[in-house]
Amino acid sequence: MKVSVSWLKEYVPVEMDIYRLVDALTMVGLEVDSVVDRYASLDTVLAGRITAVSPHPAADRLKICDVDIGDRSIRVVCGAPNAKEGLISAAALPGTEMPDGTLLEKTVVRGEISEGMLCSQGELALGPDFSGIMELGNAVIPGTPVTRALNLSDNVLDIDLTPNRADCLSFIGIAREVAAIQGSALKYPVIEFPRKPVGDIFSKTSVQIESPDHCPRYAARLVEGVTISASPFWLQDRLRSVGLKPINNIVDVTNFVMMETGQPLHAFDFDQLQENRIIVRTARDREPFTTLDGKEYVLNAGMLMICDGKKPVALAGVMGGLNSQIETATSRVLIESACFSPVSIRKTSKKLGIYTDASHRFERGVDPRGTLTAVNRAAQLMVEVAGGELTAGIIDENPGKCERKRIPLSVDATNRLLGTRLNQGEIKTLLESIEFSASCDGNDGLSVLAPSFRVDVEKAVDLMEEVARLYGYNQIPTTFPHITPGGTLSSPALNFRNIIKRTMRGLGFTEAVNYSFISADASVRLGLPDGDARHQAVKILNPLTDDQAVMRTVLIPGLLLDMDRNLSKQANYLKLFEIGKVFLQKEENRLPEEIEMMAGLWTGDRFDPSWHDKGTPCDFYDLKGVLEGLFNTLKIPNLKFTKLPPDKCSYTRPGHSAAISVNGKEIGLIGEVHPQVLKNFDLKQAAFIFELNLELLLPLAPDAIKAKPLPKYPSVSRDLTLIIDNTLETHAILEKISAIDEKLVESIQLFDIFEGKPVPQGKKSISFRIIYRSETRTLADDEVNGIHKTIADRVIAFSNADLPA
Amino acid sequence: MENVIEQIHEAALEELKAASDIDALTALTVKYMGRKGRITLYLRNISTLPPEIRPRAGQQANRIKEELSRLIEEARTGIERNLAESDVGIDVSAPGRPRNCGSLHPITQVTWEICDIFTRLGFSIAEGPEVEKDYYNFEALNFPKDHPARDMQDTFFVSDDIVLRTHTSPMQARVMEKHEPPLRIIAPGKVYRCDSDITHTPMFHQVEGLLVDENTSFGELKGTLTTFVHQLFDERISLRFRPSFFPFTEPSAEVDILCVMCRGEGCRICSGSGWLEVLGSGMVHPNVLENVGYDTSRFRGFAFGIGVERVAMLKYQIDDIRKYFENDVRFLRQF
Ligand SMILES: [Zn+2]
Repeated sequence: MKVSVSWLKEYVPVEMDIYRLVDALTMVGLEVDSVVDRYASLDTVLAGRITAVSPHPAADRLKICDVDIGDRSIRVVCGAPNAKEGLISAAALPGTEMPDGTLLEKTVVRGEISEGMLCSQGELALGPDFSGIMELGNAVIPGTPVTRALNLSDNVLDIDLTPNRADCLSFIGIAREVAAIQGSALKYPVIEFPRKPVGDIFSKTSVQIESPDHCPRYAARLVEGVTISASPFWLQDRLRSVGLKPINNIVDVTNFVMMETGQPLHAFDFDQLQENRIIVRTARDREPFTTLDGKEYVLNAGMLMICDGKKPVALAGVMGGLNSQIETATSRVLIESACFSPVSIRKTSKKLGIYTDASHRFERGVDPRGTLTAVNRAAQLMVEVAGGELTAGIIDENPGKCERKRIPLSVDATNRLLGTRLNQGEIKTLLESIEFSASCDGNDGLSVLAPSFRVDVEKAVDLMEEVARLYGYNQIPTTFPHITPGGTLSSPALNFRNIIKRTMRGLGFTEAVNYSFISADASVRLGLPDGDARHQAVKILNPLTDDQAVMRTVLIPGLLLDMDRNLSKQANYLKLFEIGKVFLQKEENRLPEEIEMMAGLWTGDRFDPSWHDKGTPCDFYDLKGVLEGLFNTLKIPNLKFTKLPPDKCSYTRPGHSAAISVNGKEIGLIGEVHPQVLKNFDLKQAAFIFELNLELLLPLAPDAIKAKPLPKYPSVSRDLTLIIDNTLETHAILEKISAIDEKLVESIQLFDIFEGKPVPQGKKSISFRIIYRSETRTLADDEVNGIHKTIADRVIAFSNADLPA
Repeated sequence: MENVIEQIHEAALEELKAASDIDALTALTVKYMGRKGRITLYLRNISTLPPEIRPRAGQQANRIKEELSRLIEEARTGIERNLAESDVGIDVSAPGRPRNCGSLHPITQVTWEICDIFTRLGFSIAEGPEVEKDYYNFEALNFPKDHPARDMQDTFFVSDDIVLRTHTSPMQARVMEKHEPPLRIIAPGKVYRCDSDITHTPMFHQVEGLLVDENTSFGELKGTLTTFVHQLFDERISLRFRPSFFPFTEPSAEVDILCVMCRGEGCRICSGSGWLEVLGSGMVHPNVLENVGYDTSRFRGFAFGIGVERVAMLKYQIDDIRKYFENDVRFLRQF
């Protein structure tokens, strides 16, 4: 809502300076977004003295003027009859944005250069006179900006109104708040008709409301014999000051009254209304309609229409029709001042995509008792600016529905909610300052009647908010809650997630946060097979871009896109992880399953770049080691990596990927990114990834840590080296050894895997160290040797191994 | 015979003087005190001396042996010190083997900071779904269907009844449905709005707060949030509570802090106003409490929502909020 301060002063004396005004309005809840001087665009229009006038060689009616603009002289081609030597006028320089919206440039007029423009009042929108250039008087010094010479200044506030404050979508509404802040009186415009109304409206027209639910009130007046023309300057100027374009005197009056009172009006050409009457009804399905801007629409059943005896003439509360708009020839005007249901207007406006000043106000709610004032004010102004005769009588249909609500308010409850100590009288005064009427009801109570323009006020709490707002939020004492124990809801998932994040940071990983939405083909680019549940993404009906069309079902694409972005910025050593939700659509129109996942990516070198390492590339075991380290920190034992068959994961490289499980439950996977997937994401560098389902992982974390006593007796170790088929996994052998029920085996460490000479082809050599320890005594060599041999024999038999030569 | 040990002694001292490195000292030790060393042999043969001089000769030889040992050890220490001091050593200025930690996203760090402050104030943490029912996102929070208040939050729709949550406020209703008052919770999480420009990303993060108790007030809301802002930024920072509108709170307040960049003078960051909006808040609207079946004659509450990106922007002086989700490591590694 734009508010010109000079217009505002019509309704309230503004005693504060502009800074105080901005702050005060903001602090009662009318946030001022910006303040601009509406004449600022005229800063490059300077007072100029005409020092010489010569005829234009090629045009009789044009003159060439030399104009002194203070620091220099310019040549201007001018056609004004009053241009003469010695005159001090207004010279607009190139770069000036003229009030009609054009940008002034240096031009050539019939062969002569013009370095600016000498302007009339009308051309600068400073007055009605277009007949000649401005005459500023001899006292003005050339070079002075015209705005300063004429003392022109008008601050225009742009107020960002919250949707509950429909009452402030008008000058009177804003003025009421200013009056309350200052403690001054609000001046309502005085409505007096210049001539006595004649005739009888009821004999000429009628209004019939067929949809009273959508139209609680409809008032109308008739003005006959008007002359359509441009509005007088004062009216145009008012509209321009708040960014509205003057159209003609009748339409301008409707806009002026809307800005003044908040009540949108519509003016019909009465002679274009068939049967000279109005019917308010809902549209028939697929009924066509052309709005006054010439656009054609097809309506839906249920949209509220204003019709004449035969056809629709306006989209109620949204926009008038082309068929009944005010034309130059219009002589009889029917003024509509109605109250429409906010929901109905909002639905129509949204469905058709038409947003107007009228629909904006109606969908927020207009004052149902303001219709009569507005129609009278418009009638008065129309007769004043367009002539004609006002027909006596006002049509006012359906007025019964706008009873004001009486709300009981407890002083004590108000103070308890706000934390204040206001008394009955103070609360009454605050409410009365914005036209609520309040009467005392006992010691604690007030009976409050909300004004009809405050459509947002329904309950006692709404009144308490008004009290708080007017008293001043910053006056309310600041206290601290008494925190009672109990009622805690802990979130183990959150705690667990935070430990993981800290650990990953310690392991050298950087946390990424990607958008939860992604392009619909991300699952295809991962090569997921048909029928994979992860193709069932939650689709967004109104995405901003195709890249954000669906909710992600996998985290990996986000990290691959991050990798691409970083590689393009020469950052090709990356260790990233992300924790976030994936969304799986299980059933139409039900909430999807949201699963918290974690994914990681390692690409580039194994170590941070340094002189100690000449760029060793990272591999599978680097990333696997990170996960093992993470699980150690999380104290989750029994982690197992099982080679994934190629058909189990489409986006990891066959033979180089593994399922991750704990206690036999699969919780994730790890592997090298499949070369085809790298290609699909335009990546030219190998990368290793993992993903973990944190919701499956969480229950595996131990509830508490229990410390074990340290061993009292020394350990003894024995090594074992085997030559086995290179397809046999080390884990199988480790498991076999662990499965041997031998209490003295404390741990088994793999310390070497070797392929190549002298190990025969197709074989590998693997070496274990088995640590033996007793909790009750120091072990003797003989005893250990015996156990070790038993174990070695069984492993050799199981793995069909040879011993090294 | 006494002369013999004196001669050995003198010879040893002479040789010690000449010994200039560790090897010479080792040889000297062996020559005089090794198993076949001269002093060792002398002591071994002491029994051949006449009994009356044996004790003295033995004492003397042992004294010489001790002295020699000490002198050799002193010489060794001296030589070793000289050796160590003359070593040019390594280039200590060359960088070490990198052992760098990674970094956590600024959003994570600021969320933790906010949650830590409120958990210290006795709030518990709750989390909920990001794809949400229209009911929880709007209706339970007193946003009627077809009400202009819904325009305040550009919504991503999944269907007529399902949206991407536009704020963390649905957690208010979800928690209250399951738990009886009194309660104090905060709910961090991702939220989504159909809006993208220099100051808006279609996904961002909020921390919701809710306190419901028998005797709470707008004054206590002010106290709680003032404490929060002071702990988060600075004890001296000025803040103001400004009337606003949210359908689910009444009275509603925006909380502004004095611009951290210009200290109220007006600058680009605060669009010239001198104030920065950091959070929205208010007393829980009785309709919201009634929707979850709370007794509004007994319980009142206050609620607030903090924009995490906004806070991170102010704390770290980040100038473009889109950087949060581009995951450029040059950006992320700064935190
Ligand atoms: Zn600033």
